[in-house]
Amino acid sequence: MSKRLLAPFVGIVGFLALWEALVRVGDVRPFVLRAPSRIVAYLADHFGDYAGAAWVTAHHALIGSLIGLLVAVIIGSAMAASRFAEQAAQPVLTLLQVTPFVAYIASVVLWLGSGTRPAVFIVALVSMPAFAFAAADGMRGADPAARELLASVDASRREVLWRLRLPSAIPSLFTTARYNVGLALIASYLVEGGNFANEGLGAIGKRAAALNEGDALWGAIFSMAILGTIALLMLSLLQRLVMGWHPSQRTRAS
Amino acid sequence: MDAPMLAATRPDQPHTTTPHDATRRHNGNLPRHGPITSLHSAWMSRIELRDLAKSFGDLAIVDALSTDISSGSFVSVIGPSGCGKTTLLRVIAGLEPASSGRITVDGDSPRAARSHKRVAMVPQQPGLLPWRTVYENARLLLDVNRRANPPEALEPTPLLQEVGLGDFLNAYPHELSGGMQQRVALVRALTLGAPLLVMDEPFAALDEITRSEMRSILNRLVEGRSVTVLFVTHSLSEAVALSDRVLVSSPRPTSIVADIDIDLPRPRATDVEDDPRFVELCAVVRHALHQGMQP
Repeated sequence: MSKRLLAPFVGIVGFLALWEALVRVGDVRPFVLRAPSRIVAYLADHFGDYAGAAWVTAHHALIGSLIGLLVAVIIGSAMAASRFAEQAAQPVLTLLQVTPFVAYIASVVLWLGSGTRPAVFIVALVSMPAFAFAAADGMRGADPAARELLASVDASRREVLWRLRLPSAIPSLFTTARYNVGLALIASYLVEGGNFANEGLGAIGKRAAALNEGDALWGAIFSMAILGTIALLMLSLLQRLVMGWHPSQRTRAS
Repeated sequence: MDAPMLAATRPDQPHTTTPHDATRRHNGNLPRHGPITSLHSAWMSRIELRDLAKSFGDLAIVDALSTDISSGSFVSVIGPSGCGKTTLLRVIAGLEPASSGRITVDGDSPRAARSHKRVAMVPQQPGLLPWRTVYENARLLLDVNRRANPPEALEPTPLLQEVGLGDFLNAYPHELSGGMQQRVALVRALTLGAPLLVMDEPFAALDEITRSEMRSILNRLVEGRSVTVLFVTHSLSEAVALSDRVLVSSPRPTSIVADIDIDLPRPRATDVEDDPRFVELCAVVRHALHQGMQP
């Protein structure tokens, strides 16, 4: 195993060992906090259920994030191009960011029906504002010398957007994506708890909480953590692939 | 394509009148007939400025500036920093409209010259796109507004080889030194085959050793081509080493306080700065600069 994979592994195993020790040594009662070993054993016993549910949650989070990103790039381009658009969009985006979306999940389910659609919609809605701010910032930060240069040969707005502004926004979009991974997964989980589809980790978690099944609930929480870790890992790989030119991706001499 | 023009401007040609003119690569005495005329208009650029003024609100940046820049000459504008040289360049490149007065680039407005990709710019910062390789950066200007690509456009690879970047075609900008980055910027401008090259203190951010290396590279590149160069700098020795003519500008608002011919022989030797005439000319330019600073 390379050093780059070893370090995070050591971190997680160390954290779980500390948790396990705390529960055993402190004799913490299971309904307060379960030992990781017990949760892992439960997950192993119900692997099929959790894997299937995780797949549904991942699907909601991914599709929703991609739609959110797409809309954000469009809004962000408008914000970068026009001060007026920026000032008009800013309060609305902030509003979306600060509103507790849990409060209107029920309304969205009533509006869009049960199942996938409300989940994807809410994920897109909550991940969009941060992506839009990142896109606008990145595009506005495009190298002024390069902008001047493209203007000197009369490049069209579309060419400037495509060749200069969009690529300039990629680093800030990746940074935001790291933050949005958690948000998208939590949004999926919460909608799945209320969209009457009985699918996804959120549905398992909701039912377990209602029936006081601690093992099932913690199984859902652990699955969410594993899902998030995998998502971040894949994001890093994608970033390495797309942004090989960026200073952040340069391998340090060892 | 260069051959007939180079022949026409060789120092031993009868139409050259004074020894001074003879040192110019291309001067106003080019025979204006036959195929050479069309070559001339396709490849070189004559710039006329008449009572040019530019102001932002009440702030006058350029004032009553008139001059002619003959085709194929290398003209530097030197002046104190912040005097409006960059604004002047941007107006000539068609990036900024003049407030009053008239400019023509080959008889066209700067705006028209720009939309036909007949003005190639080298900015102060190289402005390379970090996600493009050296080769891709060098052809950036050809990749946009493609319809306007002139037939004179050049493949970047031989040019990159010419400036010593042949082994770096697939390198990314962050892998290059400052001087190498600026060489890519130079090649990027030359690929257009544009008759006018405008350069805004392109070597200002480089160290002294790299600067002098860049000077000889630039001299070599433009001496082999028929291109009019307008070069803004605040370095005396740079202006004298590169130019056929140095325009000394006053502090803001920019106007020309001295117009000095640089009669150093072409092609410029790499050790031109050791030439006693070079030292003399630097003194002349420095003197004019000081005079221009007096109120």
